[in-house]
Amino acid sequence: MDTLADKLFQTTPRETAWCPGCGNFGILNALSDALEELSLEPHDVLFVSGIGQAGKTPHYIKGNVFNTLHGRTLPAATGAKLVNPELTVFAIGGDGDGYAEGGNHLLHAMRKNVNITYLVHDNQVFGLTKGQASPRSDQGFVTGTTPQGVSLESFSPLATAITLNAGFVARSFSGNKSHLVETIQAAVNHEGFSIVDILQPCVTFNKINTFQWYRSRVYDLKDDENYDPSNRTAAWEKAQQWGDRIPIGVFYKVDRATLDEAHPASANGPLVKQGVEYDGVKEILDGFAVNG
Amino acid sequence: MNSFSIKIGGEAGQGLVSVGNILLQAISQEGWYLFSHRDYESRIRGGHNFTQFRLADEPVHTLEEAVDVLVALDKATIDRHRQELKEDGVVIYDPSVQGETIDEPGFVAVPFVEVAQDQGQPKVMANAAAAGAIWSLLGDDLERVNGIFAAMFSRKGEDIVEGNKKVAQAGFDRVRDALGHRDMPPKPANAGPQYLIAGNPALASGALAAGVKFMSAYPMTPSTGVTEFIAANGRRCSVIMEQAEDEIAAMNMVVGASYAGARAMTATSGGGFSLMTEAIGMAASAEVPVVVIDAQRPGPSTGLPTRTEQGDLLYGFGTASGDFPKAILAPGDVQEAFYLMGHAFNLADKYQMPVIVMSDQHLADSYETTIPLDMDKVTVDRGEIVSGDEAGTDYKRFALTESGVSPRLIPGSGPALTVAAGDEHDEEGHLVESAEARRAMMDKRMAKMKGVAEEALPPVLVGDDEPELVLISWGSTKGALFETVDKLQEKGQKVKGVHIKQVYPFSQDLEAVLQGPGKKVVVESNYVGQLEKLLGMEFAWKPDGCVRRYDGRPLNPDYILRELEGGGHLG
Repeated sequence: MDTLADKLFQTTPRETAWCPGCGNFGILNALSDALEELSLEPHDVLFVSGIGQAGKTPHYIKGNVFNTLHGRTLPAATGAKLVNPELTVFAIGGDGDGYAEGGNHLLHAMRKNVNITYLVHDNQVFGLTKGQASPRSDQGFVTGTTPQGVSLESFSPLATAITLNAGFVARSFSGNKSHLVETIQAAVNHEGFSIVDILQPCVTFNKINTFQWYRSRVYDLKDDENYDPSNRTAAWEKAQQWGDRIPIGVFYKVDRATLDEAHPASANGPLVKQGVEYDGVKEILDGFAVNG
Repeated sequence: MNSFSIKIGGEAGQGLVSVGNILLQAISQEGWYLFSHRDYESRIRGGHNFTQFRLADEPVHTLEEAVDVLVALDKATIDRHRQELKEDGVVIYDPSVQGETIDEPGFVAVPFVEVAQDQGQPKVMANAAAAGAIWSLLGDDLERVNGIFAAMFSRKGEDIVEGNKKVAQAGFDRVRDALGHRDMPPKPANAGPQYLIAGNPALASGALAAGVKFMSAYPMTPSTGVTEFIAANGRRCSVIMEQAEDEIAAMNMVVGASYAGARAMTATSGGGFSLMTEAIGMAASAEVPVVVIDAQRPGPSTGLPTRTEQGDLLYGFGTASGDFPKAILAPGDVQEAFYLMGHAFNLADKYQMPVIVMSDQHLADSYETTIPLDMDKVTVDRGEIVSGDEAGTDYKRFALTESGVSPRLIPGSGPALTVAAGDEHDEEGHLVESAEARRAMMDKRMAKMKGVAEEALPPVLVGDDEPELVLISWGSTKGALFETVDKLQEKGQKVKGVHIKQVYPFSQDLEAVLQGPGKKVVVESNYVGQLEKLLGMEFAWKPDGCVRRYDGRPLNPDYILRELEGGGHLG
């Protein structure tokens, strides 16, 4: 087995800002391994991240990095991908980042089917601001902003993604590295928008949804040989399951036109490599001439 | 200057835009200089809208309040605007719409729909009747207008072209029969080649000439013309215009695209600009070049969606939290709109910072004839860019430099990597919290302002060198300001006009003007005097007076002269 130091995507060790035992470490290691096996070079990859503990991830891995704003990873990643489709683009953020602050962007990124991979570190709580409820918190979860316990139903990212016909919809678990590696690779290989909701225990602010809590509940959809990820209705129903048993794996997959393909301007290669279209602009300006 | 003004009023959806387009073409092709502004309500049908045309024998960049011809497609036009009519003015109206025949000198009844139907043509050709009626005051025959019908309608078939011609002739004859031959407005001897262009397409063309490769926007009046223009030319100019789900997404997409190496921009107006400010701050922190057009309209909030104001200057200056380098440009006419876009992109790239271009509805929607725009005069300076092949493994995106500018690496261009963050960061782009690192990075970013200030565009000055009165304005008020100066000079006043096209940071040349001779009056379209306040902050200076307009209508020389008179600033 490789040691971390031999790995292409491993950066010079730097002190992380994460708590010891944080679920983010599992995601970081799995991401690094997944990329290694995809035979990509770090400079082929762009990590666009948000704000929150998850948003710091790209600082601990090798690649191009743009650590943006809270909730705005998806539009920033979309802009980068559209002008340079040759980059493998990841958007990385937490459940607060993506499902609260960035909710509208999530809906439209899925609808647009931009060819990027979105990793959501889903710990069902706000970590960086010290433990407030997130849209993913379970009902009854007591936090500083919900002293009587969360009264709302938890947001279902997977059911929402399937409803919007997102290209690739999956869930994985930071405590199951091989599953996570495999899922990230499948997400990257999918042409279109891929969302991977990653169950990621917050060891400091979520004493309910712990490693043990998840480990005793998750099961792999692959174990059900009749499960068909191309069946959208069945996938939506499967996405409702949460509680005693929690499915992980690829819920839904569909091939449809990606946003990059929708823009004829990219026909001659990435726009970042193109300059002023002199003849085109000349033609436009001539169109303003008064023909007296 | 001899000028002649025509105002056409009607309900939205009544064909005002069609008549307007025919006249824009015909007047400019006939050789007059032209300025035209649309005044419209935030609705698709009904209400009362008007378009005003001012044709002249000299270049013209503003409207006058009085009109020579009033064309009423609706009743409100005469009710609201007849007091604007000059002596000997003409009113062309439809008695069936007016509900009465007006038997007064200069009033000519042309039942537009009836005229079309009399010629066996559909009602929709009432527009041609109006165009023909108006043209009887501008030409001795309809050759010019007929040529435009041919160009506009030949695709729809010869019958449509001929029908329009017949109806226009009937309209023409009605007015000619009623008024006889009148003197035509004087034309310029030889204007030379001209363009006819409005502010929005001028801004968009300027961006295309500067090599913009990515735009994202959310439709918002009065900026939408820029967005649609870029979208329409996406294939021709290899540029993506991606309509966003909101202005927050639009601005963030622009920042992402620019980080990846493409020249990128957005266009919006007040409310949308408000939503963009968070990402503008990120662009500043991560040192990503972005160009933002703010087509101002009266605020706050939704305000007057289709009207004009210069009310966002201080908001542009204070855009987003924290201190960061930026520049604000304010084109005064279509020429400046075109060339300042290229300058905006160069500044953004050179200093890796946000550049805001402040347009407004007055500039965006006004058509002008102007000398041809020359793309050979547009230079592209991408600033300090390093490829991933050239940069070593020790590349630092935010390396500390004296100028504050660090070479920018395009991700994916070679083995070297680039790390950027909106969070405070070290030279490598990784997050830091130390006081020293923060101070170093703030000093680095703000050091860029030295260069930005040194190359700030000087003000445009007209009029007397030893003035008694100095009129100072910015942005689209330029045309009204300069004509005011002309008019006062004709009356023998010693006046200077100062147009500021870079409103932040100011050119140091302004200092001499502000401290120089003459009473200073700041002319602008907002309530609190935002230019005056910003000049005060930057130069510790106070003017002697002000002219302000905040009713959503553009400034014009008549308004300015009246206010100067009222303020006791004249003679």
